[in-house]
Amino acid sequence: MTSSTLGKAWQWVMNSLTNHNTLADYLEPLINGVVPGWRADRLRSYVTHVRNENADMYSLVIKPNKKWKGFEAGQYIELTVEKNGAWMSRYFSISSSPEYFQITGLIELSIRIQEQGRITPWLPNALKANGIVNISQAMGEFTLNPEHQNICMIAGGSGITPFRSMLQQLNLQSAQSNQNITLMYYARSDQHFLFEDEFKQVSNLNPLIQLNLMNSEYDGNINQSHLDVFVKPESDTHFYICGPSPMIVLTRKLLQEANINSDHIHYEFFGPEPLSLDIQSEGAAILFERSNKQIESDADETSTLLEIAEQNNLNPVSGCRMGVCHQCICQKKSGVVYNTKTQTYSDTGAQEIQLCISVPVNDVVLDL
Amino acid sequence: MNMQATELNKQDSQKWASRPDDETLNHFAQDLNELRERTMEKVGSDDAKYIRNVIRVQRLSEIAGRILIVLGFLHPAYWILGVLALATAKILDNMEIGHNVMHGQYDWMNDPNINSRNFEWDNAGDSGSWKRYHNYDHHTYTNIIGKDRDFGYGLLRLSDDTRWKPKNVWQFFVYIALCLNFQWGVAYHELAGERVFFKKSRKASKLPVTREQLKFAFFNKAARQLFKDYIFWPLVCFPVFLQVFLGNLVANLLRDIWTNTIIFCGHFTDGIHTFKESQCKNETQGQWFYRQILGSSNLEGSRLFHIMTGHLSCQVEHHLFPDVPAKHYPQMAEEVRAICAKYKVPYNSAGFFKQYFSVVKRIVKYSFPTKKSSRLASA
Repeated sequence: MTSSTLGKAWQWVMNSLTNHNTLADYLEPLINGVVPGWRADRLRSYVTHVRNENADMYSLVIKPNKKWKGFEAGQYIELTVEKNGAWMSRYFSISSSPEYFQITGLIELSIRIQEQGRITPWLPNALKANGIVNISQAMGEFTLNPEHQNICMIAGGSGITPFRSMLQQLNLQSAQSNQNITLMYYARSDQHFLFEDEFKQVSNLNPLIQLNLMNSEYDGNINQSHLDVFVKPESDTHFYICGPSPMIVLTRKLLQEANINSDHIHYEFFGPEPLSLDIQSEGAAILFERSNKQIESDADETSTLLEIAEQNNLNPVSGCRMGVCHQCICQKKSGVVYNTKTQTYSDTGAQEIQLCISVPVNDVVLDL
Repeated sequence: MNMQATELNKQDSQKWASRPDDETLNHFAQDLNELRERTMEKVGSDDAKYIRNVIRVQRLSEIAGRILIVLGFLHPAYWILGVLALATAKILDNMEIGHNVMHGQYDWMNDPNINSRNFEWDNAGDSGSWKRYHNYDHHTYTNIIGKDRDFGYGLLRLSDDTRWKPKNVWQFFVYIALCLNFQWGVAYHELAGERVFFKKSRKASKLPVTREQLKFAFFNKAARQLFKDYIFWPLVCFPVFLQVFLGNLVANLLRDIWTNTIIFCGHFTDGIHTFKESQCKNETQGQWFYRQILGSSNLEGSRLFHIMTGHLSCQVEHHLFPDVPAKHYPQMAEEVRAICAKYKVPYNSAGFFKQYFSVVKRIVKYSFPTKKSSRLASA
């Protein structure tokens, strides 16, 4: 018998005995009765303290569980907290460096308070000290390639977090890097520059690192003239972009117009990538992840996700079509939907939704 | 024959004529929707704590039950206690946890193990199959003859809506057999509806799964349950093989009797209404609520009784609000009763023994052909 058939047999026996996938899942309620917040599929960790960065940002300092495997600068984690009985998840880039984690055993998440948000304004008070969070292993490919010689980092607002991790790493690690790095950091006002002193210190210590603080009040949004220095035809500069979606879309467009090779442009969207580069479009993009199908709905679209899925020849299981039978339940990985039965808007994170009474409000990713 | 049919139709339409008019039912629906909203505002961490505690009790009684059954060789009392603990675990798992979780009552918790999509219960029935015919067919078309196969389970004649056949004479014994093997009835229900194993199979199936998937799910789940209770645990405790085998058998039996009895009290009591498909076309929400109430009946009892029935004791509230966490039903029941009184809608609620007796009476009564005179008399 091969090990995979043995594995399957073991899985079948476990399913039979516990009606769960693993014994840990079966025992989870007993264990978290003693160890609050314990979950079989996540890493239970502590928030050691919450640091205010400015009026609308704060950093969570987290001591990850021993089973957490570490990360590379630029990666993100899923943070899960229990709020009013419900598990709520959000993705955040780690803003501190791997080297810092080596030294202190701590990581930091720097979080912008979303005014209408359900989680970000609530988190700091809920977690003040020794609050319990569940984290995932680190994910993401938005990391600094050591072979890139000339680098332009473009950060918008809270999109600074992965770059702070990368620059802190360069500063703390013993081996001197010989990469040429320019950081273009866009923020709404002088008060909104995060880690300003730290960045200044880094660029003072390392002459290869240039810091450009771009205050949008005076300098405006990113435009061609800001990039002129870097887009010389013979240049081999690699561009790393992180920020709000419209900013990423705009920057990509500018770089493409300047004939920058697309393998020199690196960026990361949380959620589905907007379909077109035209930032005027206000429709919602819907990504059916399992079927690997992405479609765009009209801005004034009122079709439910069930109808949209059916129009696109996906045939999800459905039943009463009035929100009673829960046959069409589906996991929404991210995005906001409007529930036509309860007339409420959903959370932005991962949730179970009923397709027959859910209308997409913004970009939605479905596990379908 | 013709004469009889017209009279019966007349009788039906008279019964239906007592349905309040559309406007009244719209107000009725509004009151019920407001009740739902008020209740959902309260749903939160208390409900999460509650269901996790019920699951803890279920886990502990399952583990304790399986150990005590083995210890039965020390004294038979341990065996009896063990069987009762295991039966309690199975009842909690199937009713207060499984049934309610699979209705989506706790989907808002975002917990992958307490979730209608993933939950699998300690019962021979495949949960996917059950969700299709129960959550959809039964809850959408409650008591519509020909649509809701839960009305008599295709085995029992429980009203004049179905024609009497000679086999109905011994339906009381069919009922006893179903009661003792209820989990297998649950498992086989959908396959029976599709007539999967018989020649007269349905040509136009509306199911979202193929017949092969249906068969696979049936045999896979049945094999898992049989393996667990009658092969694995008895073999692991080999010296007391028979003791464990029998203990598990009795625990399953007790669970089957209890769940069947409670469920029969939900829709087959005295005064329950049945409906024709034609009457329910293009129903408004108010008419749908009205039908759910007329087709369901409640049991009164203590908090523990409600929990052990999975709150199916509040069948009326469950049918009105199938995805509201069930622990709120007893409180909602008081308000639903008041709303029904306000709109003069009948509300069927009584103690367990009274309701169960009326179920048995119904099963016996419809074992025999109904005399024309008594049909008219019952109008």
